[in-house]
Amino acid sequence: MKLALQKLTVGIVLRVVHAALVELYALDSRVRDEFNRMPEGMSYALQTGFNAPQLFVQWKDGKLHNLKHLDKPVCALRLKSTGISFRMFTGQMGLAQAYAQHAFSMQGEIADVMKLARLVNLVEGYLFPKFITKHILTDIPALQVNPLRVYGRVLCGFLTGRYN
Amino acid sequence: MNKYFEFQNVVKLLCGESALERLANELEHLGSKAPMLLSDAVLAKIGTMQQVVDAMEAEGCKPACTYTDIPVDSSLKVVNEIAALYRSSGCDALVAVGGGSVIDTAKGVRLVLSQNADDILAIGGVENLVRGTHIPFVVVPTTSGTGSECTGVAVIRNDENGVKMEFLSPFVQPDAAVIDPRMTLGLPPKATASTGFDAMVHAIEACTCLQANPMSTAYGTTAIKLICENVEEATRNGSNKKARYAMAVASTMAGVSFSNSMVGAVHAIGHALGGVCHVPHAVAMTILLPHVMRFNLERCKDSYAALLPWMIGMDAAMAIPAEKRGEAAIEAVAALSSRLNAICGLPLTLREAGVKQEDFAKVAEFAVNDGALIVNPRAADEAQVIEILNAAY
Repeated sequence: MKLALQKLTVGIVLRVVHAALVELYALDSRVRDEFNRMPEGMSYALQTGFNAPQLFVQWKDGKLHNLKHLDKPVCALRLKSTGISFRMFTGQMGLAQAYAQHAFSMQGEIADVMKLARLVNLVEGYLFPKFITKHILTDIPALQVNPLRVYGRVLCGFLTGRYN
Repeated sequence: MNKYFEFQNVVKLLCGESALERLANELEHLGSKAPMLLSDAVLAKIGTMQQVVDAMEAEGCKPACTYTDIPVDSSLKVVNEIAALYRSSGCDALVAVGGGSVIDTAKGVRLVLSQNADDILAIGGVENLVRGTHIPFVVVPTTSGTGSECTGVAVIRNDENGVKMEFLSPFVQPDAAVIDPRMTLGLPPKATASTGFDAMVHAIEACTCLQANPMSTAYGTTAIKLICENVEEATRNGSNKKARYAMAVASTMAGVSFSNSMVGAVHAIGHALGGVCHVPHAVAMTILLPHVMRFNLERCKDSYAALLPWMIGMDAAMAIPAEKRGEAAIEAVAALSSRLNAICGLPLTLREAGVKQEDFAKVAEFAVNDGALIVNPRAADEAQVIEILNAAY
């Protein structure tokens, strides 16, 4: 039961993270720069544990697409357990901490993980309150817009089916 | 204490006098009859490689194939070429004789062979590989700096984009390392100083980065002590076997340390300087260390302070007020590099190393994408990396 709840939570947060990245592309110049520097077709796969939710995203035509599956992602990350994923996606552990704790394996180039890490750090900076980010981020990023605006746009996006 | 940490060192160390003469026996125990010997042209020319061959042949072990064209900054292409040669020559083990480039190339070759791949690029990643076929692998370091004989990472240049790529896997660690002080006796003073400083950077970053743990710190602090006590004597008097031996052991210990806790911004920026401006790795490390320590100081005051006794001795460290020991550790590092500069002309600035300021933007772009930066105690963006580069110029 606990594992099922963890997987459900991780699945929801993954969708929110994708949505936040889409919205921050319009709102935050650092996110925009990061994506604009990516090669066309750059893709990431994130496996969050055994039989757990997965995320497949691809940068194409100026948009971050959330896909059902990708055969050969350029960069594939695999978190070593659902418990680790749950801690990561509920603000208990940052990506740098996850790396330091050998929490994931990766297929591809480390440079691509670094790009993803910068994006995830920015998303966490917006989605989590300061009392959480000060524990999970090496440095708290300066916010270019009010986080409520990000939450508002993400909510509207889900209601209008923008991320489907 | 870390909430969680991992530690691994599977390398058997053959340390000290006559270690080289035991290499043949070690290969036999690993099941090898036809080892491939890897080295570089300089070591072939000055006779260091021949010393190893003689020691092997004296005990009845003849290399089946020898490759001595490994360049200073080896590339993915060289790795793939050697793997193909290994297969076509019917070799059954790898023996790497050299510094970081030779050893890391050999690690790459071992990965390709053990994973039954043709191209190392196809198997890149972090902790992503299964064990694969066991390829017996012994290394003989000829510098005291890289610690590569004990690390779970191979750094290899991608010629297509100039990026120094890191391949992290526990399966790149050799089966054995021959730490024989005779192998470093011929190392020139400047190379002795810079590679010694490289080991110092490994130890300091390993003890202070986000992945530092009690085991890696135990190795790292002892390495710092050995380096501070011996690097000047080894540089000044290269034939001093005692100092050479201490430096060789320090380098290995620093390697074990950082292999289990990673490095940090000094390495991230240093790799980028190597990739973009071709600054030798050890030289980049020497120049950058005090500047990156100053950048990290706000997060590392206590951890730097804890290293001070290992650098200057307990009594001298305790004579400094506790709140000033972090800064004192940085000054101790800067003073050591200045003394080495006085002894052998070790470059202390990027300008002296031939770096052009117009390359800083490219260096910064590469540095922020280097995996070493992820565990640096303080995050750094491109602008901050350029600030560090300007300070080091």
